[in-house]
Amino acid sequence: MPRKDLLDISSLGREEIDLLLDQAAPFKELFTRSVKKVPALKGKSVLMLFYEPSTRTHSSFEVAAKRLSADVTNFDVAHSSITKGESVRETVETLQAMRTDYIIVRHKASGLPGTIAKLTKASVINAGDGAHAHPTQALLDAFTIKEKFPDPTGKKVLIIGDILHSRVARSTSTILKKLGLQVAYLGPGSLVPKNGPENIQRFTNYDEAMKWSPDVVYLLRVQMERQDVQYFPSIREYHKLYGVGDKRLADIRDRGLYIMHPGPVNRGVELCDAVMDYERSLINEQVENGIAVRMAVLYHLKPGSES
Amino acid sequence: MLLIQNARIASEHSADLTHGDVLIEDAKIKSIGQGLSAPTGAKIIDAKNRIMMPAMFDAHVHFREPGFEAKETIASGAESAINGGITGVVMMPNTNPTIDSATVVGQVLDIAKRTARIPVYTSGCVTKGRHGKELAGIDGMRNLGVKMLTDDGDTTGDPAVLLRAMQYASEFDMFFASHCEVPELAGPRALNEGVTSYRLGIKGSPACAEEIIIDRDIRLAHAAGAHIHIQHVSSKLGMETIAWWKSRGDVKVTAEVAPHHLLFIDEDIGDYDTHYKMNPPLRTKADNEALLQGLIDGVFDLIATDHAPHTPFEKSQDFVSAPNGITGLDTALVSLYHHFIATGKFGWDLLIKRYSAEPRRMMGLEVPTITEGSPADLILFDTEKETTFTKEFMKSKSQNTPFLDKTLKGSVDLVVLGDEILLER
Repeated sequence: MPRKDLLDISSLGREEIDLLLDQAAPFKELFTRSVKKVPALKGKSVLMLFYEPSTRTHSSFEVAAKRLSADVTNFDVAHSSITKGESVRETVETLQAMRTDYIIVRHKASGLPGTIAKLTKASVINAGDGAHAHPTQALLDAFTIKEKFPDPTGKKVLIIGDILHSRVARSTSTILKKLGLQVAYLGPGSLVPKNGPENIQRFTNYDEAMKWSPDVVYLLRVQMERQDVQYFPSIREYHKLYGVGDKRLADIRDRGLYIMHPGPVNRGVELCDAVMDYERSLINEQVENGIAVRMAVLYHLKPGSES
Repeated sequence: MLLIQNARIASEHSADLTHGDVLIEDAKIKSIGQGLSAPTGAKIIDAKNRIMMPAMFDAHVHFREPGFEAKETIASGAESAINGGITGVVMMPNTNPTIDSATVVGQVLDIAKRTARIPVYTSGCVTKGRHGKELAGIDGMRNLGVKMLTDDGDTTGDPAVLLRAMQYASEFDMFFASHCEVPELAGPRALNEGVTSYRLGIKGSPACAEEIIIDRDIRLAHAAGAHIHIQHVSSKLGMETIAWWKSRGDVKVTAEVAPHHLLFIDEDIGDYDTHYKMNPPLRTKADNEALLQGLIDGVFDLIATDHAPHTPFEKSQDFVSAPNGITGLDTALVSLYHHFIATGKFGWDLLIKRYSAEPRRMMGLEVPTITEGSPADLILFDTEKETTFTKEFMKSKSQNTPFLDKTLKGSVDLVVLGDEILLER
């Protein structure tokens, strides 16, 4: 059955994930050519509805849509009358009247893209909603890992940081589990929920977590802006306990582990400068793969089908 | 005059039903017996073995008038109650303006008298505007019949304010009802902290946020010598806290449980279904089971719905923005029959005790029974029929209930109050 929306990873089956990742590969090959554009979405309109500030995800979607020859419009949320949830419904009705084909939405309210999807015939892509889901990030992470481990079954990914507030941790661990990888969380006790998913191991001590022998260390951005209250005493203390500094980087290098990060990084918090130059850092590849994966998602969805 | 023949009669005192005809005259039950003959001019209803019992009484409803009439008016709320076999309610004071003075109480009771077909009682605020700072106009409200003081919707935050209010108002034979949560722990989101809150990516409200205030407010009542009523308990530990205080026997504490906290859990929220969003939130299967046992054991004195209507637009917002609460009056009795009585979990006697008699006793009202001389305040319930809770069927102005369009066993077929038949199906 054709898929109208991409709201989360939980609703994707293994076959559909594999299909999306397979579709992303030829799009990535395009990037090495002088003409990086294909006419797949010519005449289609893509609307960017970002209620939260974002540079990377926003540009990535915009580039992806343009490389598919779609027309991209930015709905200027900052300068519109939109300030809170109540008006989302009116906005979507307006967009529906404009006959937009795709709506790419980011919002701080968990679940809001799903609410929008029910109100419109356009395909809705969740570009991050609260602490709920970030499905295209998960797809690009999976794509990046599969490039390094063509058969990733049983490989181990240690996600470090603010798990509680992270939609990336939720979506990426969900997709990795679906692809047969093992996932563990490491972070301060106040930011790694005790009642998270049952099949994910929980660490609060860095050395204990390294004994688990991960293949990939996935660092999350410490999102100070999302912490309405204090979850750890200081940045210095966080970096000491959970950050990857020079000494820990040396150990990671010795073990030959990959490092990933969804960006933007906080130098001196979750990682040190040297991580950015580490030969097995996949951070820049994640950005490139993000465009390919988002092209695959836009190409895959069918506006107007039943949600 | 009304003769109801062939009824199976239930009471709070026995699980066994008796069989008989019931003659109602001058708003009272005149006689009960076998093969009663109808006096001239009497209307005759054949109950055909349907169950007759005293009508229910709901001590926790939000009727939204004045201030939020798009959600519910006193008139529509009363019709919703009648539709569910309920002939008396106690309104909560979180209207706009809040019910915190004789003026507003007078206004509310006047609207009720003019527009509602059942008695509508109201609670009054503990503090002005429910702000938790200054005491409300307690004596003026008492003179108009207010018995229950509560800042429901919120906890009275400052324990010193609540303690003083308790010391003051207990002298007037008034009692306090507490909505329990520590705001700093609960946050603004009515969602249990657990696997579901993690999955949905919304920070949850832990059960301890409720349990702490349950204990705090009973302790304050203990210190002040006041009667404290704990509203809509949602957690096992909260219930055990109440049971412990009751076992001590040195403080007058009563408590209520809402049908939804017996029936649903946080996982039922599924994909952000706001029809499962209320405060205190739905918790776990273990809590459901413990609360049911608490109801059976008498830790809970009464059942109350916390009927909380909101418009479809308000409930169609994202989960965090959508307001807390679900409706309950249209659905409570049928849902309790369907899930608990029909399945043998408890009998009609318990239901009548907890949803008809005890709430009236708490309010100091006469308790109707199906006995000769009792005021006519009764219903007929059909256990064979089914009820489908469509938008059209429900009389509340709002339809924010998990039972919307669901079909359940049982039907409220007749509601009689005094000389009037309020509902006949």
